[in-house]
Amino acid sequence: MTMTTRQSNQFLAKQFPVKQFLAHVFVLGLVAVMLLPVAYMVLMSFRNGQEVVNAPLALPEHWRFENYANAYEKMSYLRSILNSLGITIAVTIAVSFTGALAAYPLSRSKSRSTQVTISLLSLCLATPSFVTITPIYETFARIGLLDTYLGVILAFTALNLPLAIFFYTSFIRAIPKELEEAAELDGCSQFQIFWYVIRPLLGPATATLSLFVMLMVWNDFIYPLLLLTDDKKFTVMMSVYHFVGNHSLNPEELFPAAVLGSLPLLVLFIVFQRRIVNGITAGAVK
Amino acid sequence: MSPRIQKALFLAPAVLMLAVFFIFPIFEALRLSFTNSAGLGDYDYVGFENYVRIFTRSRYYDTFRVTLEFVAIVVVVQTTLGLIFATALHAMPRIRNICRAALFMPAMMSFIIVGYVWSFILSPFSGGLNAVLDLMGLGAFKHEWLGDPTTALLLVAAAHVWMFTGYTCAIFLAGYANIPTDLEEAARLDGANGWQRFRMIQLPLLAPSFTVNIMLSTIGTMKAFELPFVMTKGDPDGATRTVGLQIIQTLFREYHFGLASALSIVLLVIVLLVAFVQNWLLRAREDIL
Repeated sequence: MTMTTRQSNQFLAKQFPVKQFLAHVFVLGLVAVMLLPVAYMVLMSFRNGQEVVNAPLALPEHWRFENYANAYEKMSYLRSILNSLGITIAVTIAVSFTGALAAYPLSRSKSRSTQVTISLLSLCLATPSFVTITPIYETFARIGLLDTYLGVILAFTALNLPLAIFFYTSFIRAIPKELEEAAELDGCSQFQIFWYVIRPLLGPATATLSLFVMLMVWNDFIYPLLLLTDDKKFTVMMSVYHFVGNHSLNPEELFPAAVLGSLPLLVLFIVFQRRIVNGITAGAVK
Repeated sequence: MSPRIQKALFLAPAVLMLAVFFIFPIFEALRLSFTNSAGLGDYDYVGFENYVRIFTRSRYYDTFRVTLEFVAIVVVVQTTLGLIFATALHAMPRIRNICRAALFMPAMMSFIIVGYVWSFILSPFSGGLNAVLDLMGLGAFKHEWLGDPTTALLLVAAAHVWMFTGYTCAIFLAGYANIPTDLEEAARLDGANGWQRFRMIQLPLLAPSFTVNIMLSTIGTMKAFELPFVMTKGDPDGATRTVGLQIIQTLFREYHFGLASALSIVLLVIVLLVAFVQNWLLRAREDIL
């Protein structure tokens, strides 16, 4: 495929070199325009309020790293990063275990109960968080899970579970059945087959799934807003929200907090961009 | 152990989680929607009072109108933009990957941060957009973008579209990659021009990508509350108050859990209805094309 595209491109390049070149420049220009808000965020983060009022679009006169020192300090940045990271890891482990376990029988059966379970999962997937937050809040309040890591981890695990089951089901369907049959002949129980034959093959699916989990844990706002009140347990987005607040938008605080809040995922994205885009696209298409 | 019991054991942890965090809460929300619950205290059953309120007061009715407008704007603009970028990049393999990644980047950011950054860009005095207009000699178009009911919703939608155009584009590009190249070559040899190839070959074969994109962006925007929450608080005059934001405000500001539950049940019904109808229409369209 690449061969033919390349050949036709060379053909075009010979025929309309200037036109082709200009088209490329035009598209690159449009993409650059789409990235302006990111550049704006980074450049503004080094300026102070007065400079911004005087010249809204100027480059930083000098690079005020003290904006960052201030935001880092007041956001308890390191602590909130560790909170988000810890919650992400715990949720990924919990959701991949329960998800893969449930997906195994679902992927190997076409019975009516399987069909019902799968349509029930789509229902869960489409349910807006607003429907479930009030009852979850009340239940957590009753059993003492409010304002605990465990509560947030359980809530995020449940939220990611339908997606995880879908992922693993379509993934396991693609694994040849002969592997299991061989293990069955050797006298393995269903659980042994799952643990020793299926589970070791799930790595790629788990990697993609962990991307979705990470995006949700780092960026979701409604669950931590509702379930966490102790600022020592805040996720990154909660500490950005509490630091920047909601009334006055002070550029010295807003932009460094925005950069720090986005930085971990943006760095990860820049390093693994091809894998991340492919993973998320494949996940969405399935 | 019989296979049936083994299957049940595999499913047990997931079923338990889903029952506790989805099935029970949906029924509990349904129950609460018939009460005047105001948090953790006692409450009474009030019949359909909350629902009557939602369907008779313009304040609540308007939030559904605003949400549907928001969904329509985002879905149309984002799908169109994503398709344009994907079509251009499909024909430009040299810059395809780098541009795809660059466009995708905003999807890695959170609504909260995008909301803050865009609020500042759109702010009337020292914001970036008005400054750019000044710079281009278009000072006459300077505007209090988020303070005007006619532009506020459009610009909140613009922030949303900005975040997810790269996502849409990546899905269309994956769709393009699935189109057999010999089909395009054949059309080329038959003398089809660029537009004809796009209209007659690529567009029909992209039907599954349209389905995925439209369904994803519809479900994503029906639940929207974060961007208006950060950018406008629903103002001016309710012009950007989506159902999601209304629910959050009813919960946290008014502590009216009963009414919030009723709103969320109505939203759930609409989401399911829209998803069902869309799925049916778009799949049917896939078959025709």
